[in-house]
Amino acid sequence: MPKPSDLLQGTLDLLILKTIATVPLHGWAVAKRIQVLSGEVLAVGQGSLYPALHRLEQQGWLRAEWKDSDLGRPAKVYSLTRAGRKQLERELDSWSRLSSAVQLLIETA
Amino acid sequence: MRVYRVFMHRLRSIFRKSWADTELQHEIEIHLEQLVKEAVASGMNESEARVVARRRFGPLEKTKEECRDTRRVDVIDNFTRDVRYALRMICSKRSFSVPALLTLALGIGANIAIFSVVNAVLIRSLPYAEPEKLVGVSNSAVFSGQVVNDWPLSLEMYAAYNEQAQSFADFGVWTPGAAAVTGAGDPEQVAIVSMTHGVLPALGVQPYSGRCFSSADEVPGAQKAVILSYKYWQRRFGGSESVLGQLVLIDFVSYQVVGVMPRSFEFLNVDPDVFLAQSVASGAPGSEDADNFGVARLKPGVSLAQANQDLARVLSIWGAGNAQWGQALEELRVKPNIHPLKQDVVGDVGAILKILMGALLIVLLLVCANVANLVLVRAQARGEEFAIRTALGAGRGRIAGQLIVESLALATLGGAGGLALAYAALRVLVTHGPKTLPRISEIGLDSTSILFALACSLLSGTLFGFIAVLKSGLSSRPQNARGSSPSVEQLHAQNALVVAQVALALVLLVGAGLLVRSFIALSAVKPGFTHPEQIQTIRLFIPEAQIREPERVAQMQADILHEVAAIPGVTAAGFGTALPLELEYHNGNPVSVNGKTPVGRIPPNRTIKYVSPGLFAALGTRLIAGRDFAWSDLVSPHRVAIISENMARENWDDPPDALGERIRIGTDGPWSVIVGVAENVYDDGVDRQPPGIVYFPGLRRTVAFALRSSRAGTEGLLKEITEKIRAVDSSLPLANIRTLGDLNRLAMERRAFALVLLGIAAVMAVTLSIIGVYGVLAYAVAQRRKEISIRVAVGAGPRTIKSLFLRQGLILACLGGAIGLVSARGVSHWMASLLFGVRPGDPLTYGVSCAVIVAATLAASYVPSRRASSLDPIEALRSD
Repeated sequence: MPKPSDLLQGTLDLLILKTIATVPLHGWAVAKRIQVLSGEVLAVGQGSLYPALHRLEQQGWLRAEWKDSDLGRPAKVYSLTRAGRKQLERELDSWSRLSSAVQLLIETA
Repeated sequence: MRVYRVFMHRLRSIFRKSWADTELQHEIEIHLEQLVKEAVASGMNESEARVVARRRFGPLEKTKEECRDTRRVDVIDNFTRDVRYALRMICSKRSFSVPALLTLALGIGANIAIFSVVNAVLIRSLPYAEPEKLVGVSNSAVFSGQVVNDWPLSLEMYAAYNEQAQSFADFGVWTPGAAAVTGAGDPEQVAIVSMTHGVLPALGVQPYSGRCFSSADEVPGAQKAVILSYKYWQRRFGGSESVLGQLVLIDFVSYQVVGVMPRSFEFLNVDPDVFLAQSVASGAPGSEDADNFGVARLKPGVSLAQANQDLARVLSIWGAGNAQWGQALEELRVKPNIHPLKQDVVGDVGAILKILMGALLIVLLLVCANVANLVLVRAQARGEEFAIRTALGAGRGRIAGQLIVESLALATLGGAGGLALAYAALRVLVTHGPKTLPRISEIGLDSTSILFALACSLLSGTLFGFIAVLKSGLSSRPQNARGSSPSVEQLHAQNALVVAQVALALVLLVGAGLLVRSFIALSAVKPGFTHPEQIQTIRLFIPEAQIREPERVAQMQADILHEVAAIPGVTAAGFGTALPLELEYHNGNPVSVNGKTPVGRIPPNRTIKYVSPGLFAALGTRLIAGRDFAWSDLVSPHRVAIISENMARENWDDPPDALGERIRIGTDGPWSVIVGVAENVYDDGVDRQPPGIVYFPGLRRTVAFALRSSRAGTEGLLKEITEKIRAVDSSLPLANIRTLGDLNRLAMERRAFALVLLGIAAVMAVTLSIIGVYGVLAYAVAQRRKEISIRVAVGAGPRTIKSLFLRQGLILACLGGAIGLVSARGVSHWMASLLFGVRPGDPLTYGVSCAVIVAATLAASYVPSRRASSLDPIEALRSD
């Protein structure tokens, strides 16, 4: 399993925001979903997931509520705030710029 | 919205910390549970699964801590912990905290006290709406080469300004004075202000009850109107509501009470009992006398310069149509002088207070330097503690932060102490301070003073906190945990602080020294009267309504003089229209000298006094040439005069040459022959040039008696005098019963006040720098015990050791002294306005101040040096 540090610096926020963008999720589901949607390539360690979630919440991009969940007990479910949606757009933007730059470099170098 | 959410989160994190922690715990448990379920699903048993789950999760506590860190509450957390720690330190380390707190309380307290005075006197000096629009209106003129900026207006000028000026929303003139209130009750003399109807609206005040004056009150012949001050209304009328409409006899003329002013109302810097409506009649006697002060409220958007231009236009139109004044305006170069009203109220006290404020800020800097020193010493002693904490993972920023918090806690506590001290000091000041200080009764601690106290505390705390952090060596490298010698940097810092202290103290010493020298010079001036404390004065007014014929008035005054002069113990007596220093009764007129004043020119202004024979003897004013007046001069057709020495020298070089020459008031009065020359009388106070005075023999309705007696000021003498006067006429109101000494003291009081406070500041400064020098050397001795012991062990004598430290003290003192001398020379010209008979660069003052400061620092270094020389080397070496 790849270590969290293998994730490119700063992409964790983007992954979390993107994952939650469509449907509110609790921490466990966020981790699972990132893993599944990336075709088991990306795995987020709990050690970085929860601090990241808390940080995004403190920054006002996520909102958290305790709700009944599929786990059979109430869980802390995160959803995007309006500011979070804007932040996601910004992150996507900068990601596409970064990735195309990297792509360009690989192709031409 | 986002800001709000973030803010609420932080709040919740701070105040519901335990709740946030439980939440975090739950969240992570759920995750762990899922991991366990997954493991079980892959075929492990329960306990195995748990172990695997924990392993897969990773370091649990670290994750939790990282989550907590995102809440960013550590800053606040650390802060509260630091404050608690600092308070505990202040309570336990008394040898450090008590001197620090005491010096802080003294320094900050002194600053708060003076700031409160400045605040009351300077900042809040105009308790009226929109005070920045209030202006004083006077004229500037040039009298015999001297520019006078506060030449009052005549009523005729007022009428012209009032009619044609376009810059004023409201405008009026007022003049202070005294009047007798008779009728029911004892006759009494009250302080009055006569004013035109524009004055109160200009100030923007409404009466408490009744009405303000109107222009109808000013028409000659109309019922005269009076407005009472709240204080007088309470005192004379017991606050009775029915006072409105009542008639009151003031100077034997009936006035109708039309209003009462509010209790809080203050009229500039005078404190009148009643306000009289000024009757304005052009051409009436007195309407050309320039003795009215103007006050006006500028229209919105009008600047001082515009208003001055506007009035200059009015003045030139008025002058052109006025035969009597037209020429004078030209010759005296009369120009309107509109100035901020604050100037009239505050006067020259502003300069004194600013100097004091500066002096006390220096004291506060000294205090900061001393406390910084103490904090440095403590930081050194705590090197071990800091080292251990650094080893345990505390960052340098964290430790520096704690030092700052400790400093701030110290400063805040010191400031609280200072506030208490200032409160006490102000109570003393209000009861014992100079009565001539404007608005002295207003002085007290208010919210502005308390804010100032807070600012003082926080600023000084930050200042010495930062000095301590920067110089404790904390910023450069971690200290080792074993006790060590102080870093060179710290020693340098301490030495620099001491040098700065010595320099600042010297500046204050020089300032105080210059004031002392001025005071001595002032005391040496012969004021033109002797032993003022033995001169009893009483002012007496004989109204026309009571005695019509001037001859009878003269007879009555002569009778009274005769009676009181016979009182046992009275050695001399006389009377005159104005006694020395009685500025409010001064009367000036241009006086021409036969053959000296060019024809067609307006002669210089002189003070005119009408005096009785014997007044010079009673006052102790020496006659330099000629003779005193005789009673026969009063009735003789030959007019005679006595002039002051400076006026005689101005015209004839040698005073006796003036005898027999002729002078007259104005340019067309009758001539009088000079029969005597009297020594100069310093009427405006000994620190001003004595005015030229012309004395005429003669009688006026209001005169002041002067009696020389060793019993002056005693109840017994007063009673006898009153009895004698009442025996002549029982209805005469008496006023200004005081000794000339009181008046003299009053004149010196502001200077004395400045001297005392600056003296206190200087003493504090010297004491603080002694403490500073002592502290640094004592610390150096303690730190260098090992070195000293080794020196002694290899043969250094006590004298060598002693001189080692004495030399250090001397070097510090000389360095500080040199810097202080240069700075003192730089700042001393600021106090030039307070100096008298001494130049700001007076070498004696500088020399003595230097000697004092060097002696003080040497004394301060002697004790530690002796301790060093008497050190027992064996014990010292063994103990380490």
